[in-house]
Amino acid sequence: MSPDAKNALPATNEDTCGPYFPIYFREPALEDLTRVDAGVVGQASGTPIVLRGRVLDRHGDLAHGAILELWQANAKGVYRTPAHGDDADIDPWFDGFGRLRTASGAYEFRTIMPGAAAGRAPNITVTIFSDGISRIVTQLFFEGQGANATDPVLLAVGDDAPRLIARHDGRTANGAEVYLFDIVMAGDGETPFFDDLES
Amino acid sequence: MSTEGRILGIGPTDNTSDQRTPRERLRLIPAAARESFVPVVPARFRASPHEWDMTRTAPDRPRAQGVPIEVTGTVRTQSGAPVRHALLEVWSANHFGRYRHIEDQSGLELDDNHLGMGRVFTDADGAYRFWAISPGAYLARPDIGRWRPKHIHLSVSGGASRLITQMYFPDEPNNAADPMAILMGDAFSRNVGKPRDVGGADVEEAYDFDIVVGGRNATFFE
Ligand SMILES: [Fe+3]
Repeated sequence: MSPDAKNALPATNEDTCGPYFPIYFREPALEDLTRVDAGVVGQASGTPIVLRGRVLDRHGDLAHGAILELWQANAKGVYRTPAHGDDADIDPWFDGFGRLRTASGAYEFRTIMPGAAAGRAPNITVTIFSDGISRIVTQLFFEGQGANATDPVLLAVGDDAPRLIARHDGRTANGAEVYLFDIVMAGDGETPFFDDLES
Repeated sequence: MSTEGRILGIGPTDNTSDQRTPRERLRLIPAAARESFVPVVPARFRASPHEWDMTRTAPDRPRAQGVPIEVTGTVRTQSGAPVRHALLEVWSANHFGRYRHIEDQSGLELDDNHLGMGRVFTDADGAYRFWAISPGAYLARPDIGRWRPKHIHLSVSGGASRLITQMYFPDEPNNAADPMAILMGDAFSRNVGKPRDVGGADVEEAYDFDIVVGGRNATFFE
């Protein structure tokens, strides 16, 4: 809720995107965050990575038709927000926002390894829309980062922290290290999700 | 200020909702991490100038079958600030209840003059407008005869505001049994377009649908 909750306008209800979010709205440049536009000279600074995984339902089946959105800091740990518009550490070739619609339930983004903001481990916020649910949100981390041990989000989820850590695959794709992260929407091994409307 | 996150509701008679709704209580975001959970959508999305008129596939094409409608409204945050120059992505079924989507296998009739997808931006006051064909209801659960009521899908992306919602229509017989409407309870009325006079517009019905983006994310950078 907004700080001035008693005067707040009642919010429109979130609703499911349904099964037919138009592929027509797809933008390939949002699936490769290292490039602002295809064919434009200019590339995000940092270490390119590939983030690959599956979105799974309660029965372990692929959640086809899901939309995934990513939000992350640049290689220096700075987010591209209005508050940082003039920051010298903003990378002009990196927005830090990605989106795709997965037809099958499997997904792959190309991006850069995020830098760590103060007091945090490198992370990517993931927003998921799909048929049957309204928006759900989580945050993923990377295997092998020392700061994971003291990150407040990982500490807050306690024993479930491993479910938020992308595994280093040991494989590369076009020169980028591959990280694997499956999202379990419901049931056994459920991914911890966060309440960004109420907290 | 809540001390616990929500438990999300599962839409009754909605199999996909049963398969995909998280069962655990949502976790609260630690204060030190709060800002990192606020995506800012870059102003990089595009739309063609004619996409606001979804009653045709292109300006030189005839009107699709069914009832042409106008939908207008504003997009605001809960504190009342307009969400300016936000992208609205709009999609809906045609007059017969069919989506022009490769995964819609319903077999319902397609209309060659209907695309059912369009993008518009809010103006400097947060106002928007589009034309569409009043969508058909479709049978979502043939086994139990449960229909999806007429609805238009809307996705709002602008600054720190992000919302996917649906506009429903007043007094539709299928509204009451809809799983999403049931989950909304009394708040369902917020998601129903308000009929108004068409004025001079070349449409048969017109609706106002004011959108309020909830939560702290939307207001984080105000
Ligand atoms: Fe629909």
